[in-house]
Amino acid sequence: MKLSNHLRENLRRLRAVYSDCADVVFHDMVIGGHTPAMLVYIEGLIRLEELDQHVVAPLRDGPGPNPALQDIRNQTSVASVKTCGTIEETVEKISGGNPVLLVDGQNAALVFGLSSWEQRSVEEPTAESVLRGPREGFIETMRTSIAMLRRKIRSPKLKVVTLHIGTCSRTPVAVIYVEDIAAPSLVREMLSRLKRIEIEDVLETSYIEEWIEDNRYSPFPQMLSTERPDVASAYLMEGRVVVMVDGTPTVLVAPATFFSLLQTPEDYYERYVVGTAIRWLRYFFLAISLLGPSLYVAVVSFHQEMIPTTLMLTMARSREQIPFSALMEAILMETMFEALREAGARLPKQIGSAVSIVGALVIGQAAISAGIVSAPMVMVVAITGIASFMAPRFTIGIPIRLLRFPIMFLAGMMGLLGMILGVIVILNHLLNLRSFGVPYMTPLAPMQSRGLKDVLWRAPHWMLNRRAKR
Amino acid sequence: MRRKRTSMLANGRRTAPALLSLFVCALLLSGCWNSREVNDLAIITAAGLDLNEDGHIELSVKIYLTSSSSDSAGSQMSGAPDGNKGTSVIRTVTGINMADAASRLQKMMSRRVFWGQADVFLFGERMARAGLEAPMDFLMRHIASRERAHVFVCDGPAKNVLLLSPSIERSVADALVHMAEQQTGLNITMMDLAQMLISKSKAAVLPIVLITSGQGEQESFPYIQGVAAIKNGRMIGRVNEDVTRGIMWLRNEIRQATVTVSPEQSDGYVSLHLHRSQTRLIPKIEGGRWIMTVRITGQDDIVENTSDLDLSVPDHIGKVEKELEKVVNTRVKIALEQAQKELKADIFQFADTFYRKYPKIWEANADRWDEIFPEVEVRLETDMRIARPGLIGKNFFRQEQR
Repeated sequence: MKLSNHLRENLRRLRAVYSDCADVVFHDMVIGGHTPAMLVYIEGLIRLEELDQHVVAPLRDGPGPNPALQDIRNQTSVASVKTCGTIEETVEKISGGNPVLLVDGQNAALVFGLSSWEQRSVEEPTAESVLRGPREGFIETMRTSIAMLRRKIRSPKLKVVTLHIGTCSRTPVAVIYVEDIAAPSLVREMLSRLKRIEIEDVLETSYIEEWIEDNRYSPFPQMLSTERPDVASAYLMEGRVVVMVDGTPTVLVAPATFFSLLQTPEDYYERYVVGTAIRWLRYFFLAISLLGPSLYVAVVSFHQEMIPTTLMLTMARSREQIPFSALMEAILMETMFEALREAGARLPKQIGSAVSIVGALVIGQAAISAGIVSAPMVMVVAITGIASFMAPRFTIGIPIRLLRFPIMFLAGMMGLLGMILGVIVILNHLLNLRSFGVPYMTPLAPMQSRGLKDVLWRAPHWMLNRRAKR
Repeated sequence: MRRKRTSMLANGRRTAPALLSLFVCALLLSGCWNSREVNDLAIITAAGLDLNEDGHIELSVKIYLTSSSSDSAGSQMSGAPDGNKGTSVIRTVTGINMADAASRLQKMMSRRVFWGQADVFLFGERMARAGLEAPMDFLMRHIASRERAHVFVCDGPAKNVLLLSPSIERSVADALVHMAEQQTGLNITMMDLAQMLISKSKAAVLPIVLITSGQGEQESFPYIQGVAAIKNGRMIGRVNEDVTRGIMWLRNEIRQATVTVSPEQSDGYVSLHLHRSQTRLIPKIEGGRWIMTVRITGQDDIVENTSDLDLSVPDHIGKVEKELEKVVNTRVKIALEQAQKELKADIFQFADTFYRKYPKIWEANADRWDEIFPEVEVRLETDMRIARPGLIGKNFFRQEQR
């Protein structure tokens, strides 16, 4: 609805919109001594001092009678001033934290870019800490986060497209990419998918992640999430697209591949030999974290002839008093371990240590000496636990931890055959999965020899042509 | 947080979870039918086969005791084996053949008999002399028993060996396996034995296990010495330790050997340690004469020199090498003599070597092999080299050389 020429009419409508909104301030003022005007803003979302100094004060002495909107605009000393002509636009600007000046006799309003609110200072992201490398992380305020990216890629080719998602929350969302590196079709696809979202509010990137991912039922994440500007800009330079949501420091990177989820920034910051070694260690323990307990269960309850004799006798001895079957024992212990981990994660640090002590005692010492579980089982669970923490990102660690249970079950039912069946099903799914059209297992399947040097090993930087990955 | 969302599931999508749950239910139907927990198994570590007076097979098995009454939970946790005594039990059953005995054994056990970890099979001498065909069929046919298990012939009943509990190793099976793997004597696995039994020569060798005559069970332990010669599936004789070495040279099975020679015109001895050796059999048929050239090459280290030779002098080294070759030749000749003249069993698999080179001639003479074998002319080409004479030349501790 267009703004009317009458200030009173406009105000009536705005007041109706902002009824029962105690934090919306309607500041009555008179421009230049004769033109009535109204400054509307939300308390706490604006820089009040600057508003006083650069808008209110100059306008009080203001231009002469019957000023044009341009005259009023020139009178103020604010860099960012926009005009808007509809009620809806005005409301959006006000809600976004911009003070809006409505002047009597004008069918347009002035919007001052003076929004500002309390924000967290830039800190090191705790979930993705590194020993070497930048220690800054994105913050909840999107424009600060975008600025961090801009500081890393100082090129006009870094493009930022913003849109609002959430019928109620109107959350600003930015799609960021590097022109000429990111495929235009990818950017188009991302924007069209974002526009299809019908949601009331967006509090975290995961809200939109579930809307735009290719396979909605997969346990595997099809987008990467990170809090690190260096990681995000590295992916931008590889031709990927970053989606940023105001109000959360976590950004999404698409497309994601299985192996990109297994990389850490430090792979690239450490020497390449070290990076390669750590990568292989990670792959190995990833397999353990998926199959460790299953392999133990399968071998102990079906394939005793596969264990070297001496080990077999030792294991037989330790399992002798155990009342449960190996499968039961494994499920019991793994569930216990997951519970402990979850309990520890949600507790304050001081209480967390108590949980870990009790947990160590219960699932470690006491369970064995009580003869409830066998010592090898505790070892297997412990190794699997360590292995699952090797996953560099929580999002990839979780599905693997969950899939461990069905595979364990299959191993307990059908031995190695069941285990292999489970692995085949998972592999099949992974090979089918796509992230924004990119096969999930790239560059392994389909095989891309150029991409392999960043998967099988971390080639030195002078050998890595990361754009080839696209 | 409130989260209301229209269902994303179209009707077609609904069938997938339903199918999945059906599959899971089908999985449950099978249960764990094939699963055998470790604590439901009677783990056999060694088995012995004897023939009793009635001609029945007496099967003795050594079963590892996973639980012992004195075992407390505490010691389990530390994983320390509490002593070696009483960690195994022996069960003996009699049956008309192996399968019968094995099923009778199962009847006597509260747990399922598990053959998968049986690393040692012992044949009593009576059993071996009566013939190995019957038990071998079972052992090769039975899925669970291993082809990599070690096979021995016992001096006397196999059960006596199983009754021992050597104090060094966890069980008698462990002890025998380790002794065989050191290759100081013959090391024959089930697969080797099967291959030898069905080979062209139809003769095999098996190491013999003897028991030291110690006082009481703790002191007596088994050891491997000598060889049982087997022909057409039956044990036909045994040879002593010296001949065994010769047999091992001929079968290319020498891995470790320390030979002491006494070179001419030098009082004292030189001991050599073999660190690599190879034996090649080169067959030749020349105008009806069957000739086997045995080419033995070896490299030795000198480990002790009590003679007056200065081993830094190449001539002296040559002398020792000559002497060493002589010793090896003697041993090989004794073994050949015994095999060709006394046992008349082709335990060196000459037949297969001939067959491989002259398949047609061999086929024509296959029936006559028993006659040909004793007449095969063996030519020895021994070439021993001393690779490392050691850090010192002559023995300078000898008084007269100071």
